[in-house]
Amino acid sequence: MSGSDSVAEGDFQHLFATEAEGRLDTLVDQLLELEKGGATPELVASLFREAHTIKGGAAVVGMPHVARVAHALEDLLEEVRRERRGVDTPLIDSVLAGVDAIRILIPLAVAGEDHEHAAFEAEQRLRIAVGGPPAAGDEAAAAPTPVAAAPASADPPPSAAPLAEQPGPRRSAAARQAPAAALAPPPSPPEPPPQVGGSAAGPEPEADRGAVPHRPDPVTGQAPAAAAVPGPTEPARAAAAEMVQIPVHRIDDLVRLIGEASAATLRLGSALLERLERDPSGMTEYRDLVRSLNELQELALHARMIPVMSLAPRLRRAVRDLARESGKEVRFETRGEDAEIDRGVLERLADPLLHLVRNAVDHGIESPDERRLRGKPMEGIIRLHAMQLGSEVVIAVSDDGRGIDVARVREAAGSTDRSAMEMDDEAALYLIFRSGLSTATRVTGVSGRGVGLDAVRASLNAVRGRIEVRSDPGLGTEFRIAVPITMATLRCLVINSAGQAFAIPLHSVRAVLPPQPSATVGGRAMTMVEGRPVPISSLASVLGTGNGVEGPAVVVAGLTRSHAFKVDELVDQRDVVVKGLGELIPRLPAVAGAGVQPDGSILLVLEAAGLIERARRVDSGDRSLEAADGGRREAPVARRAASILVVDDALTVRELQRSIFENAGYRVAVATNGEEALTRISEERPDLVLTDVQMPRMDGFQLTAAIRGQPALASVPVIILTSRGSDEDRRRGLECGADGYIVKSGFDQSALLSAVEHLLGAER
Amino acid sequence: MPTVPAPSVNAGQLALLIPVGSDTYALPLEAVREVVVDPKVTELPTSPSVVLGVFNVRGDIVPLLDTSLLLGMRPVAEEPYAVLVETAHGTAGLVATDMPQTVRLNESVGHSDMEGTTETYLIGDARLAVALDVSTLLSPARISR
Repeated sequence: MSGSDSVAEGDFQHLFATEAEGRLDTLVDQLLELEKGGATPELVASLFREAHTIKGGAAVVGMPHVARVAHALEDLLEEVRRERRGVDTPLIDSVLAGVDAIRILIPLAVAGEDHEHAAFEAEQRLRIAVGGPPAAGDEAAAAPTPVAAAPASADPPPSAAPLAEQPGPRRSAAARQAPAAALAPPPSPPEPPPQVGGSAAGPEPEADRGAVPHRPDPVTGQAPAAAAVPGPTEPARAAAAEMVQIPVHRIDDLVRLIGEASAATLRLGSALLERLERDPSGMTEYRDLVRSLNELQELALHARMIPVMSLAPRLRRAVRDLARESGKEVRFETRGEDAEIDRGVLERLADPLLHLVRNAVDHGIESPDERRLRGKPMEGIIRLHAMQLGSEVVIAVSDDGRGIDVARVREAAGSTDRSAMEMDDEAALYLIFRSGLSTATRVTGVSGRGVGLDAVRASLNAVRGRIEVRSDPGLGTEFRIAVPITMATLRCLVINSAGQAFAIPLHSVRAVLPPQPSATVGGRAMTMVEGRPVPISSLASVLGTGNGVEGPAVVVAGLTRSHAFKVDELVDQRDVVVKGLGELIPRLPAVAGAGVQPDGSILLVLEAAGLIERARRVDSGDRSLEAADGGRREAPVARRAASILVVDDALTVRELQRSIFENAGYRVAVATNGEEALTRISEERPDLVLTDVQMPRMDGFQLTAAIRGQPALASVPVIILTSRGSDEDRRRGLECGADGYIVKSGFDQSALLSAVEHLLGAER
Repeated sequence: MPTVPAPSVNAGQLALLIPVGSDTYALPLEAVREVVVDPKVTELPTSPSVVLGVFNVRGDIVPLLDTSLLLGMRPVAEEPYAVLVETAHGTAGLVATDMPQTVRLNESVGHSDMEGTTETYLIGDARLAVALDVSTLLSPARISR
């Protein structure tokens, strides 16, 4: 595939990918503004420029297909700019589809995969859209979109209204870049051009930025003037003059080096104490050094921070798309533009937040008719609020929809768990975070609240976050996420197990118990913790590291479960600078990372959720996990008998799935299209097939039908994974005999794995 | 992150000979960062068996891999030397069971069929060394399997 790519080109491709991501976000944001507020020359010109810049960049870094689509996008927007094409919903949809295509094509290009047909489709769609309705004179150009409620957006006051209702990331950009405008000379009626951030608005914020230290409350939307300047890109560009853009890895290197300098300083301290018998904490020079390093570390960590609301464009887009699909009217509001968070943490929050927002549209907000009947405004509201609280950032996703029907949740959970019936409402509400809904609902990804919320919780756990939910029937639902601002150091409990030290993050330690008596209940060893039975295992046997001494037990809390682990001894508490284990080693669910200790040794940091899951499987006799004593010396055994055939023409998707399943212990075979898949199946019958829909030669539907057509294969479960979530596709998939249907946009690893596990469990 | 081109071994080139059990492997010298004597290895429970553990190289956490097992042969019994190799996915340590040495290679005496290797070279009179292909051998997919 690649190979011909020079090293430099690869680097630039990554750089371009990052840049384009930002531009595409801007594009989408402006586009939605266009849809709401109508086309102004500045806005259209800005859109056009973004597309143009992406085209140029793509061509330069050797991504011809991306360039093609961007070119078509540019041409289409050019038509709008020249007022030969009006703005209507199909236009917006086409441009959004183009943006989506580019988003898909860029990583493929980076991966060196040629994806011509996708580019071709996207390009055609854009070319066709050029032939839409002409711009119907000035009137239409001013207020062209059928979606916009404001009658004439060229008129300042009405155009300010949608902005006030719609304080998204435009607002966030505005709040950060344009406080000057808010405090600027009071609203002499603003000229139409600056209201959409034409070049006229640019210099103004820049000039005053430094002089205005206070941020106005970004959300009250008080002054029309504040709303009048939310030029999305221009102020940002102007502000860029005072900034430098640096690759994240340079900051990471900096943070790492500072961490190492701190560690070296500690080593120096212990050397001083040992060799010179001088207590370094009594030395002013030493204390100064430590203090400077601490400050340096704090500053460097701060450099990694980005606003939480930089996620807003993506979320707004999801709300808009889903609302349109489901015929609902939804307004998306944001608040808390100044809340910042570590970039790495925020990246991990993107999917959970997307999930919550989609849930809110899908299940929270009622249809306009239903809302009217209930005496609510036809338009529902979804709010995204962020704020910093101490060392945490709290992000709330709330809606004013129907709320969660606790009785239904209780009923659903009660079929498998009798205790659900006795729970009070609040406890029952939290059942929505449990996994274990039926396979069918899980796989299709549409059903009542709760689908995928266990996955949301799992993702949050990975960044040491928590989630809470509150719901008022008929009035709405609020999910609150609290995450630490940075993940750089982690307070840990250090223990010894089978002679090896391990760190357990303190936030997941619930209790430490003296050596415990345990009783066997239903084949599992249990112990009592705070009056409740909790499973107990030896940490050494769970990790497969041999036999530990029967010492104290550490009770570790995962997402929904607690588990007690017997260890040899407790050592101490330490702050550990946690590093990843690198790309060469597969992700190990029970190991969160490792830290280098002052003495140069490496301390492994365990991950509660992964550890508990592993313990559960070891207890239930999952032989695949038995590393056996000295197991690392043994040749790798097939971990689980189950084999999965992954069929997808996209390299990235295929390899992603391969690694997910292989890490989970499955054997994986791959095929790039339906024909190849059938050949593979004839060589070895897989236990499950996971297939894409769109593939050359034989697509996923045809493949499914072909598998179902062979009696010997009739019982092999087939899951269809597709980027399209249309009902039509779903229906076709199930009609041709698929057992499950997963939409890529809602794709998440744990949901996929549990779907597969369910189907395999059912089959065997 | 710079992409690392995979250098290959050619006749007349300087190579590092890596003794592993009764076999000897060769790596082009420029592919090798350094050799660590007696690496202090921390075992990594639940990892694939080719991963002997991780060790600290000036603050970096580097996996130590069983060279023999990676090639599909019997696992090594000890890990007295670690040869640090740069790969596209980061630095890795390959176990050598005896002190690695630098030699200038003669002409190849034949192709090696083993996956992850390239050519076979005659060292001295009777010793054969098989050149390793780092990019094939040290890939995440191969390590996880």
